[in-house]
Amino acid sequence: MMRLRGWRKTAYHILLWVIALIFFAPVLWIIMGAFKTTDGILAVPPQFIFTPTLDNFLDLLTRENTLRYLGNSVFMSSTSVGIAIIVSFLAAYAFSRFKPAGTDFMMFMLLSIRMVPAVATVIPVSLMYAALQWKDTYFGMIMFYAMFSIPFSVWILKGFVDGVSQRFDETALVNGGSRWHIIFRVILPQVAPGLVAAFIFNLIFVWNEFLFSLLLGGRDTTTIPVSFSTDLYSDGGVDWTFIASMATVYMIPPVLAIFFFQKYLLVGMTFGTVRGEV
Amino acid sequence: MQADLSQKRKNVVPQITPPSQLSRWLNDARFVPILLIAPVLIFFIVWNVIPTLWMIGLSFYKYQISIPDSLRMLGIENYADILRDRGMWEGLSRTFIWVFFGVGIQTLLGMFLGYLFWGSRDMPGRRLALTLLFVPMIVTPVAAGLFFRLIYEPTFGIINWATQSFFGQEILFLQNTQYAFWAVLVVDIWMWTPFMILITLAALASVPRAELEAAEIDRLSWFDRLRYIILPHGKFILMLGILLRTIDSFKTLDLVYLMAVPGSTTKLIAVLLREQAFEALDVGWSSALAILLLLTAIAFTSIYLYILNLNSKAKAQEVGT
Repeated sequence: MMRLRGWRKTAYHILLWVIALIFFAPVLWIIMGAFKTTDGILAVPPQFIFTPTLDNFLDLLTRENTLRYLGNSVFMSSTSVGIAIIVSFLAAYAFSRFKPAGTDFMMFMLLSIRMVPAVATVIPVSLMYAALQWKDTYFGMIMFYAMFSIPFSVWILKGFVDGVSQRFDETALVNGGSRWHIIFRVILPQVAPGLVAAFIFNLIFVWNEFLFSLLLGGRDTTTIPVSFSTDLYSDGGVDWTFIASMATVYMIPPVLAIFFFQKYLLVGMTFGTVRGEV
Repeated sequence: MQADLSQKRKNVVPQITPPSQLSRWLNDARFVPILLIAPVLIFFIVWNVIPTLWMIGLSFYKYQISIPDSLRMLGIENYADILRDRGMWEGLSRTFIWVFFGVGIQTLLGMFLGYLFWGSRDMPGRRLALTLLFVPMIVTPVAAGLFFRLIYEPTFGIINWATQSFFGQEILFLQNTQYAFWAVLVVDIWMWTPFMILITLAALASVPRAELEAAEIDRLSWFDRLRYIILPHGKFILMLGILLRTIDSFKTLDLVYLMAVPGSTTKLIAVLLREQAFEALDVGWSSALAILLLLTAIAFTSIYLYILNLNSKAKAQEVGT
């Protein structure tokens, strides 16, 4: 750890800011593009100073289907993650407290699901969905995304429930509380941070998910990531103003999430296996 | 007196209604765990176990959706075919190069930058700076691929504008088969170096303060400090981070798919699998490949959990001493 004083410290802080801005630069370039006209985006030399226009965002509003796709993204990600968190919390409690036979195996399998390349998981599911006619239905997509979020949620929440002392359960039992009372009134409030972290990060993953949506979804359930690839071209060229403005709008929720919930970032990005703050 | 009290109590305590059948059942110690786990188990069986078993079955068949009545028992022919397939081996070696350079550079760069960011607690606007720094990993990979297509664009991309004004030469990053692989890899490095910075910060935070102060008093050099104090404490978290990154890097698809270039220089194993399954519609063959990747994933998971276990054991020992 460096202890610096005076101008050295200022220089050090400026250096860190510069590093952060370098990583942000490509994103910033796109955000700037969202406020340019098509000619402005394609101008040579590139325009760093320009008169911003809101036309691209107005175009998004009036564009056919874009709002519906955005609605799909919001609706499917929030419901599927909501379902996943509820069932995962119950299971995490059981795995942590009752340790039924096969707990370790189950946790192992859940983690393995996450490690498999997405395209390998989607092959059998797409066959099953085709047979059951679940493709391109909200039910099918939401349930699939719930399954996609469960492994991570169980892992993260089991870690949090393990962190709550068994004494709480015992005390409540001795005082005549039922198991359900313990789960929802005693344990739940104490693992609230875990629930928040699991919710936020699953939401980001589902929000950004592309492949499943492309292969299992369809006309009715198109999400924004898929629309990036399908609405890419217009009038014979790549529609850069659409890409830039849509990408800008679409990244607002995740960026706000990591700004306000920065302390959960580590737990969220490592499956709940590494705890701590940065 | 005693009798009096118990008499009183009897009057005060309301009559307890016997619990209903349902609530007795809900609270039965034998059923509670089952009830709690059931929903996850149902999800797991319906969306994982059944499809996977189905896939294992299909991997022994010749089955091409586009050709009617193509279902034919093959035995292990699909697997043998994959092992013989030259394109597959090329894809696999390309994936290893991708993982090796990608994760390697991310780790080194991430460790270096993470070390720099250590001790930035009182930096003005730290939360905003860290948010900007971590944005690449939460940007939609599809959108990131598209951003960079614009940035790499030969005629109006900003990088080519720079190379043209400084070196008077334009570089066809994504069109040239020699550069394309590395150009896409740079995007992956941009996206995931922040993750390794995050992991490094966590690893550094796990080093006890007292030992660092002792090292300072002993005037240990920075290298010795790294070797004797920081690494022994932080190595498990670092290893977990590197392993997670390796697995995810092995799975890369979205980014490469969206930046897809002519030729096959960026066809990683997952990309090849997608083509076989959803363009060639060769379900039997791609099921077999998916099973092989599944087994790889299980192997990765075992290693991950092994390291995680070492970590908790080391922690327990620390607490014990």
